[in-house]
Amino acid sequence: MIEFKDFSFRYASGKANALQNVNLTIDDGDFVGIIGNSGAGKTTFTYAVNGIVPHHYKGDFYGAVTVNGLDTVDSKPEQLAVHVGSVFQDVDAQMVASMVEDELLFGLENFGIPHDQIEQRVTEALEEIGISDLRMRDLDSLSGGQKQKVAVAAILALRPDIIVLDEPTGELDPQSSEQIYSLLQELNRRGTTIVAVEQKIGLLCRYATKLLLIDKGCVMLYGTVREVLQQSSRMEEIGIHVPRIVSLHKELTRMGLVRCPAPVNMDEAEAMAKEALG
Amino acid sequence: MRGVLDYVPGNTILHRLDPRTKLLISLMICIAAFISDSEIFLLGLLALNLLFAFIGGVTAQALRMLKGLSKACVFMFILQVLFIQQGEPYFSFIGIHITDYGVRTAYMVILRLLDATLPLSLMLTVTRLTDLSNALVVHWHLPYQYAFTVTTALHFIPVFFNDMQAITEAQIARGVSLDTRNPIKKIKLMIPMSVPLLVSSVKKTEQEAIAVELRGFNLRTRASTYKVPHMHAADAAALLLGAVLIAAAVLLNR
Repeated sequence: MIEFKDFSFRYASGKANALQNVNLTIDDGDFVGIIGNSGAGKTTFTYAVNGIVPHHYKGDFYGAVTVNGLDTVDSKPEQLAVHVGSVFQDVDAQMVASMVEDELLFGLENFGIPHDQIEQRVTEALEEIGISDLRMRDLDSLSGGQKQKVAVAAILALRPDIIVLDEPTGELDPQSSEQIYSLLQELNRRGTTIVAVEQKIGLLCRYATKLLLIDKGCVMLYGTVREVLQQSSRMEEIGIHVPRIVSLHKELTRMGLVRCPAPVNMDEAEAMAKEALG
Repeated sequence: MRGVLDYVPGNTILHRLDPRTKLLISLMICIAAFISDSEIFLLGLLALNLLFAFIGGVTAQALRMLKGLSKACVFMFILQVLFIQQGEPYFSFIGIHITDYGVRTAYMVILRLLDATLPLSLMLTVTRLTDLSNALVVHWHLPYQYAFTVTTALHFIPVFFNDMQAITEAQIARGVSLDTRNPIKKIKLMIPMSVPLLVSSVKKTEQEAIAVELRGFNLRTRASTYKVPHMHAADAAALLLGAVLIAAAVLLNR
């Protein structure tokens, strides 16, 4: 469980708080999608979970953040890393090895995973992401999307309780993006808590269980996907484009053609269309 | 140096050698090149380097390395020829003598440069950096942090090269003409472009530091290394060859 209590943070070089008075709980097994405009504080939120804030980026830290009962101020990032796996936005900057297999081994060796488990973990992680054929490939020869998958596989191999991802599909095509989120959903079903920053809100609506909207360092909306999408007017005020199906629902509701709640999946969208068509 | 220092996957005898052997034999060839004063021996070493490249399936990389070094070789040859005034002059102009001794010395310097540079670069093309790092940490007890620093620095060469290429393309797209033969003008054009590269490099390095910290870098122990390379008969033969080369270099100088 991740708990933010009266949390605010200002970077040492910052003039304003990057995050302001955050109070929320992410329960075990949640799949939280974080949305917001550029500079809203989404990445800082992920840094607060994995301990980069305040251990790497110094600044004024107020309140408390606890991850599985560990206070992120008192615990070192490597202690938190046992619980939280992180995938960053800049995929090149997180690669340490020259080959795919070595990239996966890096974390496993560091955390002292017993040698008799390592082979199985590497094989399984590569299979789950669907990149077993890339195992012996040079990382430099891979596309951005393939590297992104390797980065996710490297974290999967560590089997953390919580996975934090900062725009994991930034360099992926739509099909690969769906593949990554399907996998994250599957992991989530098995009990892994997922926290993902994502610009593609439509993708989050299909896979996440909760949405967190951050704007100018403040939590504006937090709740189930349906609860947040019901606040579509507020989202649009902030400058977040809601999925087209939600805009359509809003329009149909205004015209009095439907009374159902905003659809969050294909089945509900189909039901809405049927209702609108009488 | 992109493509030249990159690891080339393979399963040749050179790929299978222990990284320590490859490092040692590279150093031995370098030492032999610096000891020897025999033109034939130095040419032989160059041929041996190319033979190694052929065996390791990295001939293309070796030729590219030679091509890359050719400019430095020409520059060094000219400097040596102009500054060494000993020996019988072939001809003179504006008080500078081009002598037989100067030409021979310049020629030998170039041969040594090639003989000493090629083995280390070839070693990198047939050795996975992780294997090298593991071998140095486990067998030679090099602190992991140092081994990691070296391998990361090598790993980042192509990354920074890509960044530089992207910056160059962006500048060309904005109408900056980099197509000039004037070296001073070229340097003047390159300086402003190196600023964004520096910024992105610092940013990437910082991200890398964070990423490795979050993947347990500080928890690493020597015992946790999974793949530990070991020496075999081929390694002993390679080291023997290195020792023979040094001995031959010494004996031929007599």
